[in-house]
Amino acid sequence: MPEPVVAVRALTKRFGGLVAVKSVSFEVAPGEIFGVIGPNGAGKTTLFSCLTGAQRPTSGSVHLRGARLDGLPVWAVAHRGLVRTHQIVRPFREMSVADNVAIGARFGRGHRRGADERGRIQEILARTGLAARAGSLAATLTLGELKRLEIARALATEPDVLCLDEIMGGLNPAEINAAMALVRALRDSGLTILLIEHHVHAVVGLSDRILVLNFGETIAAGRPEEALRDPAVVAAYFGDTREEAAV
Amino acid sequence: MQQVLDVLINSLLAAGLYATMAYGLAVIYGVMRIINLAHAGIMMLGAYATFTLFTHFAIDPFLSVIFVVPLFFAGGVALYRTVVRRLPRSGSTPSMESLLLLFGVWLVLQNLAYVLWSGDTQSILTSYTLRSVSLLGVRVGVPSLGVFGMSALSLLVLEFVLHRTYLGKAIRAVTQNRDAALLSGVDADRISAVAFGIGTAFAGLAGSLLSTLFAFTPDFGRSFLLKAFCIIVLGGLESVTGVAAGAFVLALLENGTAAFTTVPTSLQDALSFTLLVVTLVVLPHGLPELSRLVRDRGRA
Amino acid sequence: MTSKKALEATGLLAVAVALFFAPSFLERGTLNDVWSVALAVVLASSWNLLGGFAGQVSIGYSAFLGIGAYTTVLLALNGTPPVLTLPLGALLAAAFSVIIGYPTFRLRGPYFTIATIGVGEAVRVVASSLSFAGGASGLRMPAGSFDFESNFRAMTLLAVALVWIALAVSRSAFGSALAAVKQDIDAAEALGVNSTRLKVTVHALSAALVGLAGGLFAINFQYVSPGSVFDFRLSLTIVLMPIVGGVGTVAGPVLGAILFGWLQLKLLEIPALLDSSLFVYGALLIAVMLFEPKGLLGLVRRLSARRLRRFYVDA
Repeated sequence: MPEPVVAVRALTKRFGGLVAVKSVSFEVAPGEIFGVIGPNGAGKTTLFSCLTGAQRPTSGSVHLRGARLDGLPVWAVAHRGLVRTHQIVRPFREMSVADNVAIGARFGRGHRRGADERGRIQEILARTGLAARAGSLAATLTLGELKRLEIARALATEPDVLCLDEIMGGLNPAEINAAMALVRALRDSGLTILLIEHHVHAVVGLSDRILVLNFGETIAAGRPEEALRDPAVVAAYFGDTREEAAV
Repeated sequence: MQQVLDVLINSLLAAGLYATMAYGLAVIYGVMRIINLAHAGIMMLGAYATFTLFTHFAIDPFLSVIFVVPLFFAGGVALYRTVVRRLPRSGSTPSMESLLLLFGVWLVLQNLAYVLWSGDTQSILTSYTLRSVSLLGVRVGVPSLGVFGMSALSLLVLEFVLHRTYLGKAIRAVTQNRDAALLSGVDADRISAVAFGIGTAFAGLAGSLLSTLFAFTPDFGRSFLLKAFCIIVLGGLESVTGVAAGAFVLALLENGTAAFTTVPTSLQDALSFTLLVVTLVVLPHGLPELSRLVRDRGRA
Repeated sequence: MTSKKALEATGLLAVAVALFFAPSFLERGTLNDVWSVALAVVLASSWNLLGGFAGQVSIGYSAFLGIGAYTTVLLALNGTPPVLTLPLGALLAAAFSVIIGYPTFRLRGPYFTIATIGVGEAVRVVASSLSFAGGASGLRMPAGSFDFESNFRAMTLLAVALVWIALAVSRSAFGSALAAVKQDIDAAEALGVNSTRLKVTVHALSAALVGLAGGLFAINFQYVSPGSVFDFRLSLTIVLMPIVGGVGTVAGPVLGAILFGWLQLKLLEIPALLDSSLFVYGALLIAVMLFEPKGLLGLVRRLSARRLRRFYVDA
């Protein structure tokens, strides 16, 4: 693998007595789409939080292009080029769609102002299919549109690495296909993408490699088809009667 | 050595009162995530209520508690039903509206006190106010002992209620996890009303007890409110023992600095506040309970 | 949009000019009242920058007024011309706001508010015990050189400037960051907003303006004491004005300031009501929180929207 853009080494996150993430390690190559899957409560979102600085790892490290990322505040991580979308959307409800995206453009890595900023916002809105809703208040958007707004805002910060947290949740099949196309387009434009998803079909369709977590631990990793055939993964999703299939 | 004992005993006595004072704030916050700024005003009213009972009906301050506690409990429930309940609930996060609303209530209570009792400084002088006894070689005022006794008793009763009655368990459940408690069938409205009543009753009790030790004006209560907040930050709000521990630490700090340093007592408020800020800033590696609380607060 | 801005600029300029020439044709009593309202506008609008735009409610702003006031008096007593003391007072107030800002901004929501109450109290207590600052009885300005007209012009100009500053901030990128932090601080940080530095900056700007007003306050009354400038009730009034008028807007604090100025006068006129100021403020706060948290401005907007809707349906 060429120099990995994201490297995670023995990452562990403990909340009091609960170990949410247990010694997880992986690397992501530039331009890769890297999927993270696992049953509910497996620690996926916590992992993302440790990457972005929203949570501080109990031990282990996170590296972006070789430089240490863990311990930096969230805004600093965004300035280094790694941003995320949120599983439960967090738009600025009292601002318009364009103003929402503007926050990312102004305060992210790009630090755009003036005409430059406006141009960038329009371009992003077009890419994410929100151009028609530019002036609408974020509170009036549908869920699908809000998910796209999350992505648009994150894009506006001009990241190298985009962490998408369950963007397909709650979408109908047509919307899912559109989302998948968008993710591929984003990768083709030069981004590296990490993806948490429950839709196995989407993950398999998009990811170059995946990581499977269960109870905070890595139970399989590698190319999607191989990892999903791993008996441990099958057991995690289907084998135990306590857990329901996430599909 | 004698000085150390002196500090320890005085801190212990003060801690009882502080704990009673803090608990009133803690229960309302725990159940409803509301920071009751009117707490200061209610304590002040408690002091004045005891004062009135003493001067007009010659009822001993410690006995007046029998009237004050139920009266204030009822008052708290009434206040909840008329005003607090109407606030838009913002779920589990503390809201600014409730803070400011109760602030408004505090102002109204202050004005009420000015009108009813004038702004003159009042105090209660009984036959035993100036008497003192010797406890392990330390001179302790009789009122202080009475206050401690009363506080300890009230906290014991509270412990009993919290752990042996359905009501108490419901309160603890809602404090720990509101949604789960509601799903288990707890009547949120009723528990909130009761919690508010208990909080108010404790504030009134604290005020009554304070009136035996200090002089007071309608402005009374603000510095105690700050102390109560310090205590909750230090000791958490899920258990009576936590509050008691926090109360003891604060009292120890106050008495300790008074005895061993040259910091004048007039700066004690500033001291409580500094402790508060230092605790909040430094805390992450403190007691697990505390760090968990701070983390909950820091990530709303 | 340019025409709206032009209208605003002209409006503000007209008000500034009118106020500048006011001493020539208004009598002293009225000028005093206008001065008080101007002070109220400055305090309310400055507070609103942090409290309304950024959503951080501080009930300790009297500390900044006091720092500005005391700086002016102390320096004046040492021979510095009062005018030169003003920027220094503003600077000190800003510096103090930064010192307390860093630890207290770690707290969220109501916890921050309580911390600010504590700061305000601590400052008052410390000021009362400092003997070089006159202790509890305060200090008098050195005799002579008090020119009411220039003080009047300075305060009213500051008030107009504050409205302009509020407008400018609300429309700037800085203002958009404040709004983002107010609505969802974690989401804002995830997009690269350094929320702590932002809060500290707006706090410092706000404190500096209040400190400046404090200096003018000291010059006007020729006397400062912990009771007059570090008063908790003053901190409270500074919060109530923008909240009652319409927190977070530009016009709201101005409306609130004018309302309070009017209320103060009314309360002073009717002796029976003099003792009820706390009740009035308290009741107002309760009413606003229960019925219209967006204040007067919010009420007006709600009513006019309703009227429009009815019109639409009937037509």
